[in-house]
Amino acid sequence: MKILLIEDEPELHKLIKQYLVQEGYLMESASDFITGLEKAKNYDYDCILVDITLPKGNGLDIVRQLKESRSKTGIIIISAKDSSDDKITALDLGADDYLAKPFNLAELNSRIKALIRRRNFEGNKSIIVNQITIIPDERIVKVKNEQVVLTAKEYDLLLFFISNKNRVVSKYSIAEHLWGNDSDQMDSHDFIYVHLRNLRKKLARKGSVDYIQTIYGIGYKFKANE
Amino acid sequence: MKLITKTIFYYLLISMPLLLIAAFFSYHLIRIEVRDGTDETLLKEKSNAENLIKLNPKNDPVYLSADSISKITVVNQHKTGSLFSDSLIYDKVEKQDLNYRILRSYYRSNNQTYLITIAKPTFEEDELTEGLLSAFALIIVFLVLGFFVVNWVLSKTIWKPFYKTLEELNSYDIRKHENHSFKSATTVEFNQLSAALNKMTEKIHSDYLQQKEFTENASHEMQTPLAVVKATVSLMMQSPNLKEEEMDQLQTIENSLRKLSLLNKTLILLTKIENNQFQNNEIINLKETVTKIINNYSDLVGAKKIQLEINFESDPKIEMNPMLADILITNLFQNAIRHNKMGGIVSISIKDKTMSISNSGEPLTIDEKDLYIRFKKNDASKDSLGLGLSIVKSITDNYGYTISNNHHDSLHTFKIDFI
Repeated sequence: MKILLIEDEPELHKLIKQYLVQEGYLMESASDFITGLEKAKNYDYDCILVDITLPKGNGLDIVRQLKESRSKTGIIIISAKDSSDDKITALDLGADDYLAKPFNLAELNSRIKALIRRRNFEGNKSIIVNQITIIPDERIVKVKNEQVVLTAKEYDLLLFFISNKNRVVSKYSIAEHLWGNDSDQMDSHDFIYVHLRNLRKKLARKGSVDYIQTIYGIGYKFKANE
Repeated sequence: MKLITKTIFYYLLISMPLLLIAAFFSYHLIRIEVRDGTDETLLKEKSNAENLIKLNPKNDPVYLSADSISKITVVNQHKTGSLFSDSLIYDKVEKQDLNYRILRSYYRSNNQTYLITIAKPTFEEDELTEGLLSAFALIIVFLVLGFFVVNWVLSKTIWKPFYKTLEELNSYDIRKHENHSFKSATTVEFNQLSAALNKMTEKIHSDYLQQKEFTENASHEMQTPLAVVKATVSLMMQSPNLKEEEMDQLQTIENSLRKLSLLNKTLILLTKIENNQFQNNEIINLKETVTKIINNYSDLVGAKKIQLEINFESDPKIEMNPMLADILITNLFQNAIRHNKMGGIVSISIKDKTMSISNSGEPLTIDEKDLYIRFKKNDASKDSLGLGLSIVKSITDNYGYTISNNHHDSLHTFKIDFI
């Protein structure tokens, strides 16, 4: 899996790259508009992460030009502007997703995974992690070929865990993922616990191993064997 | 009181004592003039009487008038000179005492002394007073009438630009500064006023723009460093050798970071609402939107064992930006859950174009009108930013909807009229 990251802020660039390299992606970098556009046009990537405000140009123009050349690369916009107009423009131009800064790396990771899953439509339609099988198109979860009936939030939670498997995900990033970025519901962390307990119970009932570890103080980790 | 009314009122007030003084002097002047006139007549008649004596000396009294007051008599004294006097004499015709001016004059002719007495009825003092008073009363009436006429005419003409300026000032809205200017007038003072107001609003507006821009830019500039810290924390969490203490610290950083980014986003949102940057209005089905939000937060409702009462009597369509409609209702709903007690009630009703959200809970500890002020929190211990209701208020203000709240029967209710 190859990802092109076009981001001019060096610190953020470094951190995103580091996180995604750990995730097993091949990372290409560009820190301005011209290099970014050049690389995006000349090489094939599974996903391009592009910032809107770039030196020497606007990230949205990269999206526009890629789409004009009928590129099939998935594009995720990362922007400091959490503006609905920008978001609508970006999606209209053909970007696949839009993530406003400051975002969680776990969230970015799960968006990339979701995007790549959607892109590889013809390929494998299910995600298999040890005993658990997920068919994202139908939102179906199976343990040892037996379907587990989950609520929407439980399903989202499981998928988020699996997208970030073997990673520590904080309670806050889970809350943001489940209730949205702008949610001012501070007490929602208690509800994560409730959903998590139900999810564990349902998986265990079908004979699944408990993959979800509690990490003291911070959050959880979905521990799977590679 | 209007300025012009006040001015003219003071003019009137000051003209009263002036008129009284004028009346006093007029009274005395008239009296002196009338007396001088009478005295001249008396002197003239006296010389007539002297001629009469010269031509036709007699020893018997000669009556010069029908009432026998003016007469020529012979006296046995050797006297000269004349003397004017006033005296009341009973008048048989008018049956009352009348004021007479009397001239007594001694005249010697042919070794005889004659006393010439000439009397003329003169004016009545109370009649003069009466006359003068009525004259001055009339003057006052005219002054008052004139005052109203002048008042009316002036406010219709001279003061017109002033009232126009006042009206413009009242309707001034800093967000619509561009299509607003204070018109110049032909009166120098009003022209100066308009110019000063134009200059002032111009300055206020540019300060306002600068401040607005600053808030927006500052908030945007903050997003990238926040993203860097957030990403760093995420990476640090992956370290396998963290001690419990370090995990606690990371948790503290992440929590504060989350609040900070939420705060930042909310401030950007508020600025955008106030800048009127949400233009794309759509027809919103209020019932649908409310239902969607209730479903999205059903787990929060369930966890707090809150009893939800829903009562949709109508199905209003409102024209709003869909994102703002979501934010508005979400904030009110979250507010109703957050400030609720375990096992409490949230009741949502829609009737005509009015939506009410009530929740059970303690009465407010802060003043009701402070509820919508940024960062004012009813309960400081609650983990909230204190911006939710400010957002609600700024959205309703933006669309001109009215929001009201009240607390009774231990239910706190927010009501929005989407009109």
